[in-house]
Parts: sequence; structure tokens; C-alpha cells
Amino acid sequence: MDKALLVQLLGSALAVALLVGLSAWARIARPTAPLDEAAARRLLADEFPDHRVTAVWIGGDGASVVARADEDLALVLWRKGDGYVARSAAWGDVVAARPAEGSVRLAAVDGAPRLRLGQCPWPPQEAAA
Amino acid sequence: MKPAFDPVQLAIPFFVVAIVLEVLLARFGKARANYEPRDAATSLMMGLGSTIAGLLTGGAVFAASLWAYEHRLFTIPMTAVWAWVVLFFAEDLTYYWFHRLAHERRFWWASHVNHHSSTHYNLTTALRQTWTGGVAGTWLLWLPLSFLGFPPAMVAIQKGISLVYQFWIHTEAVRRMPAWFEAVFNTPSHHRVHHARNPRYLDANYAGILIIWDRMFGTFIPEDDAEPCRYGIVRNLPSFNLFTNVFHEWIGIAKDLAGSRSPREVIGYLFGPPGWSPDGSRETSHTLKAKWRAREERAAAEVRDEAPALRQAQGEDLLQGRK
Repeated sequence: MDKALLVQLLGSALAVALLVGLSAWARIARPTAPLDEAAARRLLADEFPDHRVTAVWIGGDGASVVARADEDLALVLWRKGDGYVARSAAWGDVVAARPAEGSVRLAAVDGAPRLRLGQCPWPPQEAAA
Repeated sequence: MKPAFDPVQLAIPFFVVAIVLEVLLARFGKARANYEPRDAATSLMMGLGSTIAGLLTGGAVFAASLWAYEHRLFTIPMTAVWAWVVLFFAEDLTYYWFHRLAHERRFWWASHVNHHSSTHYNLTTALRQTWTGGVAGTWLLWLPLSFLGFPPAMVAIQKGISLVYQFWIHTEAVRRMPAWFEAVFNTPSHHRVHHARNPRYLDANYAGILIIWDRMFGTFIPEDDAEPCRYGIVRNLPSFNLFTNVFHEWIGIAKDLAGSRSPREVIGYLFGPPGWSPDGSRETSHTLKAKWRAREERAAAEVRDEAPALRQAQGEDLLQGRK
């Protein structure tokens, strides 16, 4: 490999590391307070505006939401960085997931999120009603 | 192979300084910017990887440009000012159609989606560049310029100038430029709309330097302060993994092709709009926008239906001396 090119690539890699370090130091990510039901419903309305949510379950760490909509649909949100990922799946498949060690992994959902349960029962009692 | 004068290479120190400034201004509350370190790392690593990928395919791209130039219709002098003026408009128009194609047809979207997978909009997003553009072949769109007679080095320099221009518009720190500038040029406001995933903003503002092309071809949507942009792609990725970000849509295409049952499905999955499916069960920009319009119309109808009752109630209040 050309020496000048190698120096340029190494310099670029160093610059990347310094910029990422600077952005971590600055702490200017979006604030992500644990979700309550009102915040969860606002997020659901943004992500799934055409679905009628009938019940909402919030993860023990306030970082995930499973909502029941249109009878047989699960709307799932979970935190990624300072934002959220949204997916939907069949309600029956989602609530069939088995919890282990304080969390539940939703294999039926694209991305297979792992949600923390805390004191929240699983499967969601109120959402299952 | 690159020309001796490469605007992008020359601008790299400026890119670094500008990112540092944006972070510091946001840190001290002087400008609006959000940085999530893992997101910024992914963007910057994609920029670095794109440079390496460009080295692998750049030679072939430049050779193709030279071949087109050898068969040129005219000989356009690189030293003439008029030639640069014509190229400025011609290259920018080419960029507009490349960019539109890259959003509206899945094969090219698979390469370009990388640039949109961040849920942030800051200067590092500008560097979140594709690794697979050479393979996707969108560079073919610039060959007619060399065939017309613009020297390949001249075209490469103008492409570089366009890329450098587009760096500074990836920011939330600048709200609006003066009205005359917003009317003619691509700006942070116009490009925020382009990066937004709100249904009303999808497939809009494809401009490189001049926003006039979007105004001419009907793809211009102004930023509405009442509806802040939510950034990213319709189905945001569940991971910061670099390789997932680079290859996820290509993998999606491969899976769909593997399950295809007819030539129509193969063509649809490859060259249909992103989200196309044989049974229409997936969502495209078109269906998302149609649903958004239906919601807007429903909301407007509800307001219209409620207005007479509201006016009547207000009238009764006034008659009875209530406020």
C-alpha cells in the first residue's frame, strides 16, 4: 500500500476516534427519560398512527413498550441509543415469548429486542385482557 | 484514480473543524445539535470505509469516463469559464436525477440507504457515505457529461465541489438562510426535510446544490415548523453495527429474490420502489403518503363537522352574556 495513503488512513482513523470521544464528552444526546404511559402513547401515535391502541405495557426500565392494537397486533418499541426502534408482530407470537433472568427476548419481532421486566408481569396482564 | 485537485480531500480538515465546532457549540448551548456517540462513530466509520471502497472501484469508474471522453461529441476546454458554468448546472441536474433514482428504485436505494440510516441530523451524517455505490453503478449517470466533451477530471472536480457543498447543510444548527438563498440553493432546512421519515416529507428535496430542480420537477416540500422532522428511515435499524448499516438492504433484496416465484417478482423486488411487495402488504413511500393524506383529510373533516356546533355554542354563550 502507498505510504502516503496509509498515513492518510491512519490519520483519518485517529480523527474518527477523537471526534467520537469529543461527542461522548459533550453529552449532547437527546434526553431519554424512562417512559410513562403518556410518553409511550405519544411515541406509539408517531410510529403507528393508523392503529388503535387498546392497552400498553411498559418495560421495567422504562425503555420498551409493548402495545396491543387492532385485536391481534403487537406494537413494539424499544430504545436504541437515544431513540426508539418500532416494529409490529402478531400479538400471539409476541406474548408467547418466555422470560428468563429478568428479561424477555421477543424473537418474533424483527430485531429480536430483549426487554427488561423489573416488577412488570409477563405476559402483559392488562394488555392481554 | 482521482484528479490532482480533489476538493473532497482538501476539505477534510474543514470537515473535522466544523464537527468539533458543532459539538462544542451544542455543548455550551449556543447551537442546536444532538450527538449519540455510537451513531456518530457509525457515521464516521462509514465515511472512512467509503473512501477505501472508492479506491477499489475508482479506477474502473475513471477508466469508463476516459472511454466515454475518447468517443466525445465535442471538445470542451477545461480552462473556459463558460464550460465551468455549464458543467455546474449539468452536473447538478445529473445529481438530482441520480439522487431521485437512488430513493425511488430499490436496487439503488440499497446503496444509498446507508446515508439515511442515522436517526440524527448533524455534520457527521454528511460523512455517512455508501460503500457500494461503485457496485450499484450510479456513476454511469455521469458518463454522458464526458461523452458530451467535458474532461473526466473536470467532471470529477465538479462532483467533489457538490459533495463539499452538501456537507454544511447536514445540520440543525442553522434554521433558515435568507429567503433568496432558500429559493435557489439547497439549505439545511430543505435537506432536513429530505432526511425526515415523517410520511409527509418522504421522497422530497433531492437537490445537490440548487433546489431549483425540485421546484421544477415537483419534488420540493418546504420544512413546516409545526411538524418537526423525525430522522432516519421508515423502519429504523435495530443496531449500530457498521456492517448491518452498510449491507442490510442488499441482504433484504437477496432474501426477497430467493423467495421470488416469477420474473415479475424478481423485477419488482429489484427495481420497484423500496417497500414494494407482490401482494402490496409492505409499505412504500407512496402508500405511507396516501395514508397520511387520508388522516389529514379525516382531521380536516372532523374540524369542519364540529365547527357549526362550536359556532352555535359560542353564539348561545354570547346571547346569554357568557364569554
